[in-house]
Amino acid sequence: ISSLSIAAEPWPENAALYQQLKEEQILLSDNASSLAVQAFLQMCNLPIRVICRANAEYMSPSGKLPFIHVGNQVVSELGPIVQFVKAKGHSLSDGLDEVQKAEMKAYMELVNNMLLTAELYLQWCDDVTVEEITHPRYGSPYPWPLNRILSYQKQWEVKRKMKAIGWAGKTLEQVLEDVDQCCHALSQRLGTQPYFFNKQPTELDALVFGHLFTILTTQLITDELSEKVKNYSNLTAFCRRIEQQYFEGHEKESSTIAGRSAKKSLLR
Amino acid sequence: MAARMTLSCWGGDWGLPSLHPESLTVMAYAKFACAPLTVNTINNSWRALKGDIPVLVSEDVVISQPAKILNFLRKQKYNADYELSAKQGADTLAYIALLEEKLLPALLHTFWIEAENYCSVTKPWFASRIAFPLSLYLPGKMSREALNRILLTKGGPPLYNLTEVEAQIYRDAKECLNLLSKRLGTSQFFFGDRPTTLDAFVFGFLAPIYKVCFPRVQLQEHLKQLPNLCRFCDDILTCYFRLTVSGHSPAGQDTADANLQKLTQLVNKESNLIEKMDDNLRRSPQHPPRKLTTLKLAAGGEEGSPMSLLSP
Repeated sequence: ISSLSIAAEPWPENAALYQQLKEEQILLSDNASSLAVQAFLQMCNLPIRVICRANAEYMSPSGKLPFIHVGNQVVSELGPIVQFVKAKGHSLSDGLDEVQKAEMKAYMELVNNMLLTAELYLQWCDDVTVEEITHPRYGSPYPWPLNRILSYQKQWEVKRKMKAIGWAGKTLEQVLEDVDQCCHALSQRLGTQPYFFNKQPTELDALVFGHLFTILTTQLITDELSEKVKNYSNLTAFCRRIEQQYFEGHEKESSTIAGRSAKKSLLR
Repeated sequence: MAARMTLSCWGGDWGLPSLHPESLTVMAYAKFACAPLTVNTINNSWRALKGDIPVLVSEDVVISQPAKILNFLRKQKYNADYELSAKQGADTLAYIALLEEKLLPALLHTFWIEAENYCSVTKPWFASRIAFPLSLYLPGKMSREALNRILLTKGGPPLYNLTEVEAQIYRDAKECLNLLSKRLGTSQFFFGDRPTTLDAFVFGFLAPIYKVCFPRVQLQEHLKQLPNLCRFCDDILTCYFRLTVSGHSPAGQDTADANLQKLTQLVNKESNLIEKMDDNLRRSPQHPPRKLTTLKLAAGGEEGSPMSLLSP
């Protein structure tokens, strides 16, 4: 797919974003990633419909969610989607200088490295959460025994990855401490500015919003994870600001942070 | 702080105090923070090979990962980040994440997976520092772990074989080097003129790429085109490690080791050439992807032959 052909077509009206079923199936980490992409597209002013499918993970070209279907191209994950959107002529980070771009990339890696891995750890390696939330949700569209088989298979894959990067030996407390450290760094970097790079939001803001908002509004076994984020008032204000500016008035995202309505709750 | 602190880590060569990125990071940080650390390089002993390397032992406390070791040193009041602002501390964390995600896979690949590099440099070097018969097993295990890590974190669709993954990780690593170079600019260290944790980590990752002489060196060539990063490494080596490299006793051992290693390299190169000629005669030429599959599937099969020529 040459970038020339990508650039040639304008953004269509029927662009769609695919994720798993929102009420019954989607997990914390996928929800965060999906919200990040939605926020990014909203910030670029590109219309997108969210379509929920039980087999979204298998439809995705890389096996990871979310993915977008634009024209006749399918692109998954935030990084490639940002590149794709840039090829179409929309970019949020053009105004940054080289050093700022380096910083932005570094902070995005920090979020992926710590927050996303911590979310994966919590939902696949913490036994209580796995039993009560993950296994029932992940396999919910499928009949027994397929639901158990699929979720054990996924759990095994995630555990292998955790072992390879050295997270398998961590306890839950250590993981929560890492989350705290990450939030501390994000809070320090944000300071009192409205966005990470002052006046304009960038893909970093979308990514951070996706993860923090999901953590704040998802009900898990305990509140420890969301408490870590709530300790930093500028981060919660940041999430509220982005929610109000980019998601208010759309029926699909009508919940607010203050009231944890059933729509956002992921506990059965 | 009166307690004695000993650090066990891999030794060095080619002008470096250590070849191992994590060991190098800890040693650099200790120098920056003026922490009195006794460094024991691993050399043919059984003792320090149980856990991860590097390992810090202080009285009864045993700590093993670089981040944890640095935290411990900071708690003992050896803090190189004392003058950093909160935002700079946050930047440190972000850049370290960038290094681990984008540069580390290519570093691991250059050392442990690229067939020529592994067979002619990495394996003999590490094997010569590990006691027999562990030297037959441990380098292979480290190589398998590196491959595993890369495939699990970077492999998977839409990259379907190792060559595509390799291409992607080297692209990412070169981009990371460019970003670091832009961030460093013309200053001496990343946060002004005093070295900090971030400098220790960057040095730990860059110096092995910069100095170790491998047959396949695409990352090193890219790094050499970024003169400010090369200058950064050289500055740290001359200012902070000069004493260790020149007159200390580990250096004497290092020269003997270096000679032994050059001899083993020569022998291994010859045996590799002979193997290649044999294979060329018999069937299709051995080229890296095939060799790699052999490494993955039949662990220990093709590692056996060079090892028999090595005298640990």
